[in-house]
Amino acid sequence: MDAILHTMGLGKRFGHFAANSDINFSVRPGELRAVIGPNGAGKTTFFNLLSGLVEATDGEIFFKGDRITQIAGPRRVARGIAKAFQTANVYPEESVFQNCRLAALAHTQGLFSLEVFRRSTRLGGVDRIAEEALELVDLAAFAQTRAGDLSHGDKKRLDIAIALATRPQILLLDEPVAGMSIEEVHKTDRLIRGLAKRMTVLLIEHDMNMIMGISDSITVLHQGKILAEGTPAEIRANPRVQEAYLGGHTEGEL
Amino acid sequence: MKDLRFYALTALGLVLFPFAIHPIGGYGGLATQILIVGIASIGFNLLLGYAGLLSYGQAMFYGLGAYVALLTVSRFFPQHPNFWLAIALAVTFVSLVAVAVGMLVVRLYGIYFALLTLAFAQMSYFLVFKVFDNLTQGDDGLQGIASPPLALGPWSIDLTAPLPALALGPFGDLSDIHYWYVFVAIVTFGVIAFSRTLTRSQFGEVLGAIRENEERSRFVGFDIARYKLAAFVIAGALTGLSGALRGLYETSAAPDILTVDTSGNFVIYTVVGGVQTLFGPLLGTGLVMYLQNVISAKTDAWRLIEGVIFVLVIVFLPGGVLGTLEKRRAGRRNIVTNALRTTPAEALPAAGEATR
Amino acid sequence: MRGLVYVAIALGLTIVFGMLRLVNFAHGAFYAIGAYVGLVVAGRFGLVAALIAAPVAVAAFAVVFDRVLLRRFYDKEPTSQILVTFGVAIVVEETLRLIFGSSTLPFPIPDAISGSFNLGFASYPAYRLLFAAGIILVVVAVWYFIEGTDYGLIVRAGVRDRTMVQLLGGNVQLASTIIFALGAGIAGLVGVAASPIYSVDPNTGFSFLVPSFVVVVIGGLGSFWGAVLGGLIVGELGSLTTLLFPAASDVVIYVAMAVVLLVRPQGLLGESEVIKG
Repeated sequence: MDAILHTMGLGKRFGHFAANSDINFSVRPGELRAVIGPNGAGKTTFFNLLSGLVEATDGEIFFKGDRITQIAGPRRVARGIAKAFQTANVYPEESVFQNCRLAALAHTQGLFSLEVFRRSTRLGGVDRIAEEALELVDLAAFAQTRAGDLSHGDKKRLDIAIALATRPQILLLDEPVAGMSIEEVHKTDRLIRGLAKRMTVLLIEHDMNMIMGISDSITVLHQGKILAEGTPAEIRANPRVQEAYLGGHTEGEL
Repeated sequence: MKDLRFYALTALGLVLFPFAIHPIGGYGGLATQILIVGIASIGFNLLLGYAGLLSYGQAMFYGLGAYVALLTVSRFFPQHPNFWLAIALAVTFVSLVAVAVGMLVVRLYGIYFALLTLAFAQMSYFLVFKVFDNLTQGDDGLQGIASPPLALGPWSIDLTAPLPALALGPFGDLSDIHYWYVFVAIVTFGVIAFSRTLTRSQFGEVLGAIRENEERSRFVGFDIARYKLAAFVIAGALTGLSGALRGLYETSAAPDILTVDTSGNFVIYTVVGGVQTLFGPLLGTGLVMYLQNVISAKTDAWRLIEGVIFVLVIVFLPGGVLGTLEKRRAGRRNIVTNALRTTPAEALPAAGEATR
Repeated sequence: MRGLVYVAIALGLTIVFGMLRLVNFAHGAFYAIGAYVGLVVAGRFGLVAALIAAPVAVAAFAVVFDRVLLRRFYDKEPTSQILVTFGVAIVVEETLRLIFGSSTLPFPIPDAISGSFNLGFASYPAYRLLFAAGIILVVVAVWYFIEGTDYGLIVRAGVRDRTMVQLLGGNVQLASTIIFALGAGIAGLVGVAASPIYSVDPNTGFSFLVPSFVVVVIGGLGSFWGAVLGGLIVGELGSLTTLLFPAASDVVIYVAMAVVLLVRPQGLLGESEVIKG
């Protein structure tokens, strides 16, 4: 199967500091790939490169065979790459439903629309997409709640719902369970497993138990480069990975 | 508020306005001027209140609108002076300028955007004042260019003609109002209707979303720059329309119409009245212009009063007069809230960061 | 000559922005206050007294302004900062106008320095030479303050990371006020010092403010040498075009600013883009 997303020699330098370098990454459609590594390994930078938040200084990114390295964030979303932020990023003044609806609107109308006369409610299908996204993350009960009033864990789930409402083909989740209670972690674990059946999922996480249980395969980053890749069992047994983590922080056993 | 009720009330307000202004020392001409400038303020409000862009250069569109309209009548088509043509040329020209300038400007942030619009406005000032002065008559400006009559089908209306005389006690005399007011009131009604429709439209909804959280909007798949450009051009076109009307109404235009002072005035009118409210810009324009025209006759300190009011509004009534009144009423769910609320410090551009 | 005035005004602007992230449209008002205070003091007590009194008065005003009003806007969007400082600028200008009238007032130069120096190739007004020397002195003094003192350290650190400075225990509040007062004081000093050359009227502050922003943008918001370089460039650009293409001499600096903003928005010497995430 061809890779849905792959990079060649991808790198990002900030002045003299190389946050990412020489990354040759590849993931197949439908895979659930975890990206792990000690703090400072460059995981979030990698996701930011993929989503377009940050511009690469070296290398190329390809999505479904198309070169997207120079393409800006919004256009990547339109093509099907969606990201849930590390710190939940929502529209605080809007209702939970409206948050998803805006994403659904973007998906339906495209990057720009000069509809200065018609209301968005006339555009068919938008509400339905938003509802579905909310159902998936189990936030439908909160549809009319002001997003800024949500708990931390619920905000993160809303963030995922927003990403889902753009109907992505590949979903980037940056530490989706950070700061969540055990119960919320289980819930999110089930959510991600469900999502992984419908789309490609890339996941950054520190919770090793979850990672090992959920992933099809794992990429380990260390000091900005790929250290190792393989199945959970292979990674668990890899001595270089263990060594890289010795000085770092992990939750659960490696 | 239901549409019908809204439009009826607006129409009523516009009808009563020139009368209501009399007992407090105003006059028909002032009412007309307030509406004309109010159109530009509504445009400015679209930019600041809904797109979140503070432009210190609206005077450029205003002034260019006035000059092009007057030049159309006096220089470009002197044999066949046509009112509609003057307006159309002015608005078209200004819109093109807005597109050109907008493409350069909209990617910049906050202070840089404000300064760059200021720079372009200053450029246009000097271009009109000095560089093209054979066309614009430089310092003297264009003077005494009578407005052509308004051609409406078979009728030709002289806009400077007064309505038939009818004394109305303290509300003045009907003949104090000219057909100019009637025309401008109709145009203003149209602009208000357009503005209202726009803010509730799909376009307006997205603009509001961008205003509320730009980064999120970007990563949900909206082309931020295009939306800001569109808002900039629409605001520019409205301001150009306003300028064209002003030029034709006053039968003259001088370079001072393009100064920073003028740009600053639009800022003051809109902020005092209420950013993000529909009638705020009109209210602010009315209040401040009233101050400028009526109070200025009574005391030299009028501009000082204006400045003090402005500062007080910013500090204590960030939503403007109307915005604060509206917030007191039951929570109408808005897509955009207080234009001057606190943002987390990380959202501010760092010392060197100007674009994203 | 204009270039030097711009440098001095721009210095104050850029330091305040660099440290406080504050866009101060009232900076021109500081200049104006300095000029008028200087005029009044010089009339009674002579030029030297004015040179001391003006910056002090302006700095005092700045502190009050800061404490009472500006503090609330430190972490708000630049938009509201621009608006409130713009409003205060109007209030100050109008107050001055009401007190002193709208006409341009001349500023007397003491006889001792009102002559000209013969420089061999040309004769140059003595005061202007002194003025130029004075500005250079101010630039050096500010440089020393920033590079050589503890407060200067806080300024430099604050330009990069205000929160960090706070966490490290630096008294950011006090430093902020000092910086702001310093910026204002410089503007006030220039106001009184330049008045013999440019005379005093309520508009001078503002007429210098806009070009000063141009200077700061060209040089780079927050950059000390940027303000210096920018001021000199803008001053020279104006003079050059006046010689070559007089009609465009006013426009050219705005064109330059537009070009810089479009090509290198952080300014010639500004820090390169801070990357997020």
